[in-house]
Amino acid sequence: MKPAPFDYVRPRSLPEATALLSDESANAKIFAGGQSLGPMLNLRLARPAKLVDIRNIQALRAVRVDEKSYSIGATLTHAEIEDGAFEDFSQGLLPFVARGIAYRAVRNRGTVGGSLSHADPAADWVSTMAAIGATMVVHGPAGERRVPAEQFLVGAFTSKLGATELLTAIELPRLSATARWGYYKVCRKTGEFAKAIGVTIQDPRAGIFRVLAGSTEGRPVLLARSGETLATQGADRAAGVARQEIEEVLPHLEPGHRQQLAVAVQRSLQKISLLETV
Amino acid sequence: MASEGIGARVLRKEDARHLRGRGQFVGDIRIPGMLEVAFVRSPVAHALIRERKKPAGFENSVIFNDDMPGVLPITTRSSIPGYKVSDYPALAAERVRFVGETIAMCVAPNRAAAEDLCELVDIQYEELDPIVNCATGRASGVKPLHDGWTDNLFLRTSFDQGMDEVIAKAPVVVELELSTARQTMHPMEGKGLVAWWDHRAGQLVVHTSTQVPHMIRIGLAECLGIPQAIIRVAAPDVGGGFGYKCMLMPEEVAVAWLAYTRQGAFRWIEDRREHLTAGANARQHEYKIKAYADERGRFLGLDADVAVDCGAYSVWPFSACLEAAQASGNLPGPYDLKAYRCSTFSVATNKPPFAPYRGVARPGVCFAIELTIDAIAKAVGREAWEVRLENLVAASAMPYTNVTKKFYDSGNYPASLLEVKRMIDFDRIRSEPRRDAKGRYLGVGFATYTEQSAHGTKVFAQWGLPLVPGFDQAHVKLTPDGALEIKAGIHTIGQGLETTLAQIAHEQTRVPLKDIRVVLGDTANTPFSTGAYASRGIVMTGGAVSVASEIVAGRIKSIAAHLLQVRPEDISFRDGAIFAGEASVSYEDVGRAWYMRPDQLPDDVDRGGLEATGAYKPQIDSGVFSYASHAAYVAVDAETGLVEILDYAICEDCGTMVNPMIVDGQTIGGAAQGVGTALFEESPYDDNGQPLASTLIDYLLPGPTELPRFRISHMETPSPYSAHGLKGVGEGGAIAPAGALVNAINDALAPLNAAVHTIPASPERILAAIAAAKPTLNDAA
Amino acid sequence: MPMLNVSLTVNGRPAAATVEPRTQLCELLRENLNLTGTHVGCEQGVCGACTVVVDGKPQRSCISYAGDCEGGSITTIEGFDDDALMDELRVAFSRHHALQCGFCTPGMLITARDIILRLGETSAARIREELSGNLCRCTGYVGIVEAVEQVSKGKAARDPKAPVAAIEATVASRPADTVRKVFAPAPRPTVATPSAGTSARKGWSSIEQRLTVGFSPDVVWDRLSDIREVSTCLPGAEITELDGDRIRGKMNVTLGPMKIAFNGDGNVMLDAERRIGRLSGGGRDAGSGSTAEGEVEWRVLPGEASDSLIQVSLSWRLSGRLAQFNRAGLVQDVIQRLASIFVSNLEASLKGEAIGEQSVKSLGIFSLMWGVFKERFLRRTRKNT
Repeated sequence: MKPAPFDYVRPRSLPEATALLSDESANAKIFAGGQSLGPMLNLRLARPAKLVDIRNIQALRAVRVDEKSYSIGATLTHAEIEDGAFEDFSQGLLPFVARGIAYRAVRNRGTVGGSLSHADPAADWVSTMAAIGATMVVHGPAGERRVPAEQFLVGAFTSKLGATELLTAIELPRLSATARWGYYKVCRKTGEFAKAIGVTIQDPRAGIFRVLAGSTEGRPVLLARSGETLATQGADRAAGVARQEIEEVLPHLEPGHRQQLAVAVQRSLQKISLLETV
Repeated sequence: MASEGIGARVLRKEDARHLRGRGQFVGDIRIPGMLEVAFVRSPVAHALIRERKKPAGFENSVIFNDDMPGVLPITTRSSIPGYKVSDYPALAAERVRFVGETIAMCVAPNRAAAEDLCELVDIQYEELDPIVNCATGRASGVKPLHDGWTDNLFLRTSFDQGMDEVIAKAPVVVELELSTARQTMHPMEGKGLVAWWDHRAGQLVVHTSTQVPHMIRIGLAECLGIPQAIIRVAAPDVGGGFGYKCMLMPEEVAVAWLAYTRQGAFRWIEDRREHLTAGANARQHEYKIKAYADERGRFLGLDADVAVDCGAYSVWPFSACLEAAQASGNLPGPYDLKAYRCSTFSVATNKPPFAPYRGVARPGVCFAIELTIDAIAKAVGREAWEVRLENLVAASAMPYTNVTKKFYDSGNYPASLLEVKRMIDFDRIRSEPRRDAKGRYLGVGFATYTEQSAHGTKVFAQWGLPLVPGFDQAHVKLTPDGALEIKAGIHTIGQGLETTLAQIAHEQTRVPLKDIRVVLGDTANTPFSTGAYASRGIVMTGGAVSVASEIVAGRIKSIAAHLLQVRPEDISFRDGAIFAGEASVSYEDVGRAWYMRPDQLPDDVDRGGLEATGAYKPQIDSGVFSYASHAAYVAVDAETGLVEILDYAICEDCGTMVNPMIVDGQTIGGAAQGVGTALFEESPYDDNGQPLASTLIDYLLPGPTELPRFRISHMETPSPYSAHGLKGVGEGGAIAPAGALVNAINDALAPLNAAVHTIPASPERILAAIAAAKPTLNDAA
Repeated sequence: MPMLNVSLTVNGRPAAATVEPRTQLCELLRENLNLTGTHVGCEQGVCGACTVVVDGKPQRSCISYAGDCEGGSITTIEGFDDDALMDELRVAFSRHHALQCGFCTPGMLITARDIILRLGETSAARIREELSGNLCRCTGYVGIVEAVEQVSKGKAARDPKAPVAAIEATVASRPADTVRKVFAPAPRPTVATPSAGTSARKGWSSIEQRLTVGFSPDVVWDRLSDIREVSTCLPGAEITELDGDRIRGKMNVTLGPMKIAFNGDGNVMLDAERRIGRLSGGGRDAGSGSTAEGEVEWRVLPGEASDSLIQVSLSWRLSGRLAQFNRAGLVQDVIQRLASIFVSNLEASLKGEAIGEQSVKSLGIFSLMWGVFKERFLRRTRKNT
């Protein structure tokens, strides 16, 4: 199938992009690589009147860093993150996750901000950013606001982004050299959207103990009790808590799906405990 | 030199163009002024069409059924008693019977614009209750899908031989309910055609991506009501077929009609979404099996109820009943079985028509019989391979006529099983722990099948098909410059016929392979063949090429003998030239003599010249049976339900191999599709008859990381009944993986007392099977 | 229709075309520039047949469009005729029988070449992973993997950082301003026990939600029998006409990039005696060609003490393009959210609070839909349902 007609514009600056989006009647849609949008355009499910291609706005490709945190621009591609196009402050987590997204040809074009804004619950960055405790920097006509990543998704394909807003950058805490992470996803096929994602991030120096279940058909779920157990009693104990917690917080999912989520989370925790013993 | 003839692993002649992107597929064809077609398709599974409205200003660009007076629906008749005919219209007029059924044809300068136009066509439906599964469709009292039908079955068949005795005395009885998912076929290139009116030839030229160009011409002529002589069907490069491209499609009729009536050029290129939702349905069977055995697990009898979810219409020419006929006939498989009862139900449902996909019914029946064998083995407490081995038809019993009167011409089935058992290292697997370091459960499974290939006239006539294959023909000609031209009506769809047919011609004529050209699949310049399906090409057309080449070889020898002044029997072909002792002439000398210097030839020279048409079918019509055993070694993650194929071994026998490299390619490629059937591919429908797999995100095709490095060994038992001992090999690989893999999965899950009986064996199904088994375990504890 | 003038470099030569902005890059190459070696296999970004090199990197040409390629440099399979590495791959592909029908081959070769350039000599396992974005239906990949492995032998990996545009690391203009707790609070467990897919009616799915409010059933019913009030609580719904038990209205749904608008009419049923209200309808979204029917039913039951229990059930039945996905869980999530918002809006309404504009208007909700019921989509009345 071919897309319904649309117009194409290529702003060079953020204000220019915001101006294009601010006219709601123009039915404009941000195009940040199009690797999720493209198939929906081709299937005529997405029918914007105008594509606003933000990939040429240099500000959206910036990487900034200070002692505790860093921010990455929204239009950096998955492949750039995979390839280490900028210094890694995540102890290898971001490049690892990037390499597992779809396929190389898609990663060459798809962007981290585009994927987050698309808000597919099964997408890797949605879970990763929520797990790591990132902050979404959102630009709109009223200026800039920051949304915690774990609250960014409202549900399937729905984020906190308003119609006239765009995601410009993601701010993340720097993980210290002692940080450990585990990322596990259940996929039937390489490059396929995950059935279940488990993420654990443990950085005692930064005070981060976070355990997350992702690909839940809706917003990814931070497992608070599991995180607390991880902090106080270690990964093995947390694994036991995680299963119970998933049963409690996701009662509406199919039992098989909850099972896969529990396993993904447990295996992400297992990876931490394996790293600890090394 | 290593011959370039039969048995040589020569590289393919078709590779060069594809490796440079210079193949010519149907979408690559450019005709000046060509317009593009998109179809308005039904969004609902079953409905009456209440109103159709064309957008103002586009009356001529939107075509409804009524705009095509005289065009007949695709109607597949069959001589089988009780078979019910369905009329499959090019464009639906009053009623739609599946989501995706064509209702209107929209014409525009490009596809996007044609799709824009589709959105403007207004169709009003009055929905009817859809029939979305076999259970509903075969229930008594259900309103039949087609007017005038007495029940909702295209066909019901039954076979019964000797079961009553068996039932009374068999000590072991095993019951199984099995099902296989609906699949779509997915050649990487979908269906498509370009049709245009050739004013010079006065012909409708149809470039269609097909396996069966000559049959398509017959079908088009019937539907359009025009003489065959004014239709030329010329197939371009075909990006995979697998059975999808061996039937006449409504879109072909509609677009051909457009080109014929408007005397212009039009094309329709199927997109992936159309393929997934509207075409190419296959594989969906349901089995209820009762198997009877003795204490050692020797088969005493088999009782089966087989339902096929046939979709809404019969495809042409293979009908909605080929699947059930094949299922009933092939369920006993390679086993020595004396008593057999089988009822089949070809159920009409509100889904796209069922088409014959690689292996036709046999992946399903192989899955069924192979799971049955393993269940019997479990019941009698023996290893499945032992029970399998004891039940296989012995080599000493060949040729063997089985309970359904299939004539197994040759082979050693038990040897193939023992070979894969060795290859997979069964004894080592059994000596090792049943769980790996990651805690996954390990299992090994086997499956053995026979594949009736190149079955001929009588078999197809028995199936009651409207178009029965007879002799295949090929034309072979030595050109004035000493090259060889082969023309055959079959088509190449990736299976390498441009190479293997040349190898056969080389075998007879010794013309160097590089000088042999093969022209295929064009009704204007190739002799008739029903086409490439049923693993028949290499046997049938290969046989015809062999016959024609042999004739031409004889004539080459006669002329060469004259040029060398010796007797024809003194002539031999060697090193790309023609010898009598040490004296030689070239093929070019011979060609030049006949075409350009006939003054050098005697008056009694054979007037057939250097070209001949050969016709061929094997000595028997019942087919030559290839066979193979597959062994799979898997790890099952009982927590996620994911399966990893650790090793996969195949031992196959397709008789004489023309090109072992291509045999490997066909076998592995088939097996890869079989893995898809076993583990991944599924086209589910909801209760409203909506297809739920409309993208390749929903429908999982196995990729490189999901497939093992298949290992193959070959046995080579030439058929006594075919030219050069050839047997077909195109479909076989796809038949066994579901049986072997699910047996392996169930072997792995045995400690959990769980078993999967539905394919694909998805993580969800595996987890459900484990969950269902848990109470039993707890009880035991 | 707007047209774009696109200039780009294709296979080393300048090329220009005037096309609609929606033109896929693969269409531009094939239809406008007649480079038909780039094959179109799925248009869904999955199969990889259309892979071409854009600015040095393999990309899908089916999900790139004319405009976003402006100024780019494209290399198609035809552009690799004289490429030495591609020559090696061509020979190896032929030798290892890495192609049969040839349709996936151009995309496969372009990906294979990139693997070797990036990674140099590579293991078969990594090659399989890297090739997973290119589907082949003929070969089972065995020959392809062998061919790539063979050509990769002895090749050096390109420095992965070299070709990527340098990104300056600068000090953040300001730190993240969100104060985070170490432990995030658990999300509120869903109140409802949805029973999706278990609707009594064949082909329908439904979700149920309950709410206890501190008003008497009579008070609650009084409010909930005001159909306009009820409809304001349903996000995206808008009643334009109300005539007896017939309504005419609109249901807007924004779901990610999908904006769906169901226009049509339906029915209202109010049973004061049993305190049951029902709003139902069906219709079509012209854009996606999808049809849908939906129903909201609310029952007011006596709760503990003087409270009331409101039981809301949402049912739906979809057909057409929007229905044809294998991710039913996503639809359920959306309907679940719709139900939750509906219920909390009802609660707010009963308490006399203002209903948040955000929850009414901009929350993306799939569909409970009214449609052009009579005019465009007739359903036979089912006696048994």
